[in-house]
Amino acid sequence: MNKSIKGIVFLALMATAGCSSQTAVTSPEKHESNVTPSTANVPASPVTSAPSAAPSPSGYGFDRWQTGPLGDAFFDFDSSVLGADAQAQLKQNAGWLDNNPLTKVLIEGHCDSRGTAEYNLALGERRATTAKEYLKKLGVAPSRLDAVSFGEEKPFDTSAGEDAWAKNRRAHFVIKK
Amino acid sequence: MPLSRQVFSVVFLLMTALPLHLLAAEPGGEYIAIRKEGSGKIALALSKLDSRTTEESKLAEHLDTIIHEGLDYVGSFSMISPPLNVKNKGEGENHLINYGALDSVGAAVYVCGAVTNTLGTITLDMEVYDTSEAKLLFRKTYNGQAQQFRAIGYAFCSDLVEFLTGKKSVFGSKIVFVSNKTGFKEIYECDFDGQGVEQLTNSRTISLTPSLSPDGRYLAYTDFSSGRPTLYIRDLSDGKTSAAEKSGVSIDPAWKNSREVATTLSFEGDQAIYLITTGGVVSRRLTNSNGIDVSPSFSPDGNKMAFVSTRNGSPQIFIQDLPSGQTSRLTFSGRYNTQPSWSPLGDKIAYTTMDNGGQINIFVIGADGSGLMQLTENSAENESPSWSPDGSMIVFTSSRKGVKKLYIMNATGENQRPLLPMDGEQMQPCWSLFRQ
Repeated sequence: MNKSIKGIVFLALMATAGCSSQTAVTSPEKHESNVTPSTANVPASPVTSAPSAAPSPSGYGFDRWQTGPLGDAFFDFDSSVLGADAQAQLKQNAGWLDNNPLTKVLIEGHCDSRGTAEYNLALGERRATTAKEYLKKLGVAPSRLDAVSFGEEKPFDTSAGEDAWAKNRRAHFVIKK
Repeated sequence: MPLSRQVFSVVFLLMTALPLHLLAAEPGGEYIAIRKEGSGKIALALSKLDSRTTEESKLAEHLDTIIHEGLDYVGSFSMISPPLNVKNKGEGENHLINYGALDSVGAAVYVCGAVTNTLGTITLDMEVYDTSEAKLLFRKTYNGQAQQFRAIGYAFCSDLVEFLTGKKSVFGSKIVFVSNKTGFKEIYECDFDGQGVEQLTNSRTISLTPSLSPDGRYLAYTDFSSGRPTLYIRDLSDGKTSAAEKSGVSIDPAWKNSREVATTLSFEGDQAIYLITTGGVVSRRLTNSNGIDVSPSFSPDGNKMAFVSTRNGSPQIFIQDLPSGQTSRLTFSGRYNTQPSWSPLGDKIAYTTMDNGGQINIFVIGADGSGLMQLTENSAENESPSWSPDGSMIVFTSSRKGVKKLYIMNATGENQRPLLPMDGEQMQPCWSLFRQ
């Protein structure tokens, strides 16, 4: 039910905003890339998948703070570099944002509990801003993107061990109402 | 005993109109006590305090406990029971100290005193003697109300420590820290010995990294009330609070002096350390490199700043000379070095290293990079070292018993012990420089 309503909204938006959103997409190759040297090819045209809650490439990304279909981008320990999985997730997110041009999102940067809390606050911000910059390069208007760091203060999984830590090292997307 | 009481009564009458801390004989000067061979501690004999009435004897017992606790906390003394015949009756109104008996039990310093209570005003008269030189070192009278009991006892401890060691003592200093006792991380303060815990924030979000200005007037801390980590500076004299004016993060403050605080800001894109005023206005950018610059800590003269930077890859400690702007790397051992804390004595910097197993330990290194020393080991995560105002002790966070709690230790890593019993987790302690 909800999906079909969204579909109608989506079609209406495509009719009015689809064209401009296409032209807004710029290729990252035209920019000085300060995201990551291993940036994968960006699709020449925006992803036009239906605005449904598609499973994230990582198979994970929905949690109790998730308020929409945007998946998390995950990071290695002490890193804010976007790996291939993270880039693929962000491309999917960019496609959804492109199809939902009225939405604004908050990108939360999170860290695992290892390391020290002060440094992790700084690291979490780099994760959030790196994800934000990547979405900007994919054509998402920066005015729709806000970034904030929670450092290690709000872990998704509070247990210890690499499985939990890996889930906590992320850029998490919250759709603002 | 009656004779000594009369002596004290005379002193009391002279001092009765004068406030706490008034000197009968000014402590200070060049006297440095001889430390007992091997232990590095001053051998001190403390007689039970004299008193006249049953009520005063209770007060004396209480004060005696406080003085013992205070001297025990400092960790610079080995306490020796005074010989039974330590005081002999002398001619007239004087008592005689039996230095020979004190010497025979190995006491280098002898302390005695008396307590009187006059209409609710408590007076503590203390005398300190050097047993080998057979002379009075100082005599001092302390007055106060009953509720100031601990302050009265500690005022004497403070004078004694400063007189015998030639250094400022920890007495009267405060520690600010974070606890999640209420379910939210809030800022608290306590006395240097863990007594008198008070909650300072009630933002019911996440409050972190408190730091008191050197004069004790301002509290800087980060919290999430605005939805993002923002630095707040509260004037503790009137409660007025200013926020750092810039967007992006503003985290992990450290005071350069009592009017300027350094913090990491990201409003120009990259995270760099800036100086801001107590009103939250940016006055100067201090670091300029790609990557994270965070966690400043200043040398006592304010001319040098230790901080964490990822400019070379993994987080390491760097030192910037502020007049010249020159920056050099301090730490080369370990891949994850953070949380620098510059000793108030200026010579050393404490910091933490995380090893590959995730364990975090506290190290101390000379400000010139020499003399690296490990203070904690095999005890989970030991974090956030902060020096006492006299540089003799370090307060830190440890999860050695599972939950993060505050601990203190000597600057050499000896005598590690919990600071205070409190529910929940405690973390990010910061020891103030000012003393009440």
